[in-house]
Amino acid sequence: MTYLSAGIAVVILLSVFIYVFQKGASTLSWDMLSTNYWAENINLRFEKSEPGAYAYQGTLPEGTYFSEKFGFAVKDSIGSDKKKQIVITYIDENSPLKSALVDTAGTLNNTAHTIHPGSLVQKFTFENSKGVSRSAGVIVNQDAKTMIKTLDTSGVRLLGLYYQTSGGGIAGSLKATFMLIGMSLFIALPVGIFAAIYLNELAKKNRMTAMIRSSIEMLSGVPSIVFGLMGMTVFFPITALLGATGPSIILGGMTLAVILLPVIIRQTEEALLVVPMGLRTASLSLGATETQTIFKVILPSALPGILSATLLSVSRIIGESAALIYTTGTFVNDNPKLKEGATSLAVQIWSVMSGEQPNFELASAISIVILVIVLILNISVKIVTHRLNRKWSV
Amino acid sequence: MNKFEVKNLNLFYGKVQALKNINIEIEENKVTAFIGPSGCGKSTFIRCFNRMNDLIEECKIDGDMTFDGEDIYAQNVDVVDLRTKVGMVFQKPNPFPMSIYDNVAYGLRCQGIKDKKILDEVVINSLKKAAIYEEVKDRLDSNALKLSGGQQQRLCIARAIALEPEVILMDEPTSALDPIATAKIEELMIELKKEYTIIIVTHSMQQAARISDRTAFFLLGDLIEVGDTKEFFHAPRDKRSEDYITGRFG
Repeated sequence: MTYLSAGIAVVILLSVFIYVFQKGASTLSWDMLSTNYWAENINLRFEKSEPGAYAYQGTLPEGTYFSEKFGFAVKDSIGSDKKKQIVITYIDENSPLKSALVDTAGTLNNTAHTIHPGSLVQKFTFENSKGVSRSAGVIVNQDAKTMIKTLDTSGVRLLGLYYQTSGGGIAGSLKATFMLIGMSLFIALPVGIFAAIYLNELAKKNRMTAMIRSSIEMLSGVPSIVFGLMGMTVFFPITALLGATGPSIILGGMTLAVILLPVIIRQTEEALLVVPMGLRTASLSLGATETQTIFKVILPSALPGILSATLLSVSRIIGESAALIYTTGTFVNDNPKLKEGATSLAVQIWSVMSGEQPNFELASAISIVILVIVLILNISVKIVTHRLNRKWSV
Repeated sequence: MNKFEVKNLNLFYGKVQALKNINIEIEENKVTAFIGPSGCGKSTFIRCFNRMNDLIEECKIDGDMTFDGEDIYAQNVDVVDLRTKVGMVFQKPNPFPMSIYDNVAYGLRCQGIKDKKILDEVVINSLKKAAIYEEVKDRLDSNALKLSGGQQQRLCIARAIALEPEVILMDEPTSALDPIATAKIEELMIELKKEYTIIIVTHSMQQAARISDRTAFFLLGDLIEVGDTKEFFHAPRDKRSEDYITGRFG
């Protein structure tokens, strides 16, 4: 019976992993981690526009077409919105595409621009042998093969390119997640640690402290969405004073800090309990004050425990979604700022799945990222607590 | 001369009376040993001398206890100052999980002394006085927890000496140590009594007989007898002391 139960647990765990990995592995890439979620439209023109004679290094993969005149390769693909796309897969070192300049009104006009593989070609403008400007690309209903053929047969000069960045990245959410972690730890760590010190070292053991302790324990049982509601109504006026107009990272960070408090207080208290009583009496007998004892002896000894509390908190933040939906919002923000709304990784999953066309692959890929981070954090907690135990078993 | 004078001291843990009407004088530059069976109040009593019982919430003390003529339980007494004058070594060696150097320098640093020269000098002198310097002089930076039990206990003595106290309280300092380490600590105590007043709690009557000048015998919270060690062990005045020494109980 026990074997069976343990077996079921392992099977469930494995199937979750396998399912998520199978769905997400193809989407997972360095580009996904480092690019924006929203596609960006970019208009370029070329400084160097004359054709040359280029050759593809190695064999051309199936379905990929190479422009011998302008030195780049493209292939067909279908986007997550089920539309046909032409994706740039390769750009030669001397290709005109390497000399691109931004061609839009504004401050960025005429600045150099690097086209990354993965970009989606909307249209190329070129001049044909009669000196007339023509277009080729998705906009004029061409696929990769015909677009390259058009360019290579009638293109005399490459004039411009209009393309979309691929989008679907999680760079913004990653950044927002780190901001949330920083923000909430910044509030919750000092408050939690000092509360734990008070409860464990200074408070008299009476009914009052027992009540405080049990209410802290009850806090950890409250569903996080309730904290989200509370944060939205209680903290919003504070963040509004700071200049946030709606859901913001500050608001989310404050709410998360409240969620983290019980975790941090409990863990820190446990770390303080492990510190031998003898060290306290030794320190006091040497004429140290209570404050000196706490800061010079007890806290340093409890540091590994506090560190593991911090790591646990971080994994809690990464996994949190319900409390953030109300407080940081669900709009994926590629350039998150403290006073603006953004999504954490977990909320981005919710966000990409809740549209009309759920993007399952991206959601799974984000899940992999979350699982890997949480796994790493859990292992570090194990290592830290192991070290803690070894230190005191002397 | 008397370092401490205790008159009619009573100590309660909640409603339980742990010490009953204790009267004793502690002489300067002598070793005074407290002996008695477990639970007789001798450890509780030694913790009165540097007010370590303050840490126990339910502990109440009445009676007089003077240190160099001043009442140490008076309202305006600076406990921190008292504890720097009355050092303490505990039953279980309890060095801080820091380097040997930092352990000895701890008390001074708590007083705000940061001058490296002064610290160096005091640390080395204290380690020498505690007869451990030769063993650790090459590794003052290594963690004190790596030392053996006996070395740790001598380090704790060095740590207490570093504050240049007038009195050193020792609460069963050798009960967790092997005979060789015990012998070293005893030797050290005989050396130290030239400069310090020492009060030691011990379970071992042989130890009390070997190193102490005066012995006090406690039983169930009462101080039964106090006197010169030789007299105490050869001709105890009280029947109960005699029974204890001869091993009839305890």
